[in-house]
Amino acid sequence: MKNKSSILSYFLLFIFAVLPLIAGLGYALLYSFGIVGALNTGFTLQHWKAAFADKAIITSFLYSGTIAGAALLLSVSLAMAAALRYYHLFKKGFISYLIYLPLAFPAMVGAFFIFQFLSKGGLLSRIFYQAGITSSMQQFPDWVNDKYGIGMVVTHLFLSFPFFLLLFVSLIETQRLKDFFQLSASLGASKKQTTFRIAIPVLLQKSFPNIILYFIFIFGAYEIPVLLGRSNPEVVSVMAVRKLQKFNLQDIPQGYVIAIVYTLFVLVFILILLKQKKLAYAN
Amino acid sequence: MQTKSSFLFRLFIASLCIIPVLILSALSFSKNWSFPSLLAEEFSTAAWVDLFTPGNSISVSLVTSLIIALLVGAASTTMGFFVSKTIAYNRYRRSLLLMAYLPFVLSPVILAVCLKYYFIKMNVAGTVWGVIIAQLVIALPYSIIFFTGFWNQRIKEYEAVVSTLGGKPGYALRKVIIPLSKSLLLICFFQCFLISWFEYGLTSVIGYGKVQTLTVKVYQFLTEANIFYAALSCCLLILPPVLLLWMNKRIILRYLN
Repeated sequence: MKNKSSILSYFLLFIFAVLPLIAGLGYALLYSFGIVGALNTGFTLQHWKAAFADKAIITSFLYSGTIAGAALLLSVSLAMAAALRYYHLFKKGFISYLIYLPLAFPAMVGAFFIFQFLSKGGLLSRIFYQAGITSSMQQFPDWVNDKYGIGMVVTHLFLSFPFFLLLFVSLIETQRLKDFFQLSASLGASKKQTTFRIAIPVLLQKSFPNIILYFIFIFGAYEIPVLLGRSNPEVVSVMAVRKLQKFNLQDIPQGYVIAIVYTLFVLVFILILLKQKKLAYAN
Repeated sequence: MQTKSSFLFRLFIASLCIIPVLILSALSFSKNWSFPSLLAEEFSTAAWVDLFTPGNSISVSLVTSLIIALLVGAASTTMGFFVSKTIAYNRYRRSLLLMAYLPFVLSPVILAVCLKYYFIKMNVAGTVWGVIIAQLVIALPYSIIFFTGFWNQRIKEYEAVVSTLGGKPGYALRKVIIPLSKSLLLICFFQCFLISWFEYGLTSVIGYGKVQTLTVKVYQFLTEANIFYAALSCCLLILPPVLLLWMNKRIILRYLN
């Protein structure tokens, strides 16, 4: 009986986690080497060479990394500062409930809201116009579909700030940081020393797996860039889907190259995490 | 000084949380919103009332999303609960969990474009079942990771006590394990429900645009520049997560206390 349920468990793990990865990546790998797929004639490295020679693909990886890094840097630093200063506000009361509200926003809804708020025809542009700061819609700066990815960063910030804020508030409590603060103060440490020598290192160390995982999520995000990004530069997921879903069959092998390189990138991050034995499940 | 900055911070958080909901709600009741008006020229409840018209496309998407999310939530929670037990007590626990971690952290849309070929071959691309299977690929690993922490030495000892007293494994499951894990099962169900409910990239690729969940509908309305219907769909998308998060918080707090 026990054996039967174990076999069923391994079977389910294999079917829903292992097999899709092996099958999906295997197909992508074979396609990228010209072994399967329309227009492919046999083993070749030309698609890989073409992909690495294409500056747009390399730019896409760097662009995605920069967007993810910028969004996380802002989100983590702002959330940490807010949690350390206003920790007590989230223990009870209306705000402690309200802060959960943005967590109910799917990425698609977050992107739609930011578009309606920050675009040239959006609410902020109208407020600027009514206040006399701008005299036409065109004078309002490009904050969505812009080359710096401001709209994307703001949306990721809007969606991730409450998550990190709640995470840090909970860590301050579970790690008993307030006790450490009192102890360091009684030993003569200044507030600045306590913050930079105790609070920030502890919070960063404990939240490190979440920060890395969030980086991976933002790096591979699709809904927000597809609504608020632009075609040049393009983030990895949008570029991969465009190459794989559109009508130019010549682009498909390169699309699979992007998918494989992206997966390897994620794998490296996961292995780094495991090596440091900091993932929650590893302990 | 502290009180003033606390007040300003509260105001900032309240604005951050409430303004998006207000804007989306206002847009869903609007009919015409031309520049530079701050408010729509015309407000109407027609779009909301139309939701109750039989065959309304947004209502159909709402029901489709609900069915998919409920099935994915229930299936991934049930399977994840039992699979995680096998993994948690296995000596290769870390390696097995790594396998579960990968589909969960990969971009769903990239995973979907790599898997699309097989879904076409299995004749499930563009069907609700295809989307459910595809979403299970990301929801089940989450559920496994979620439950792995639950299976610890204490639970093992409870099972051993039941067994020593003559209880069968099924009895231990019904009378000890499930009552102990009730809150976690509920939280996991909510989380898996939300994974499915929020999902767009994988659903649009495997669903081929034929399975019109609410997220797919929002994107469709946006490409048609129909912001009012998009806002209405957004409001419907937010509603269940808000309720679930509110319940989740109460459950989490009760669980922690």
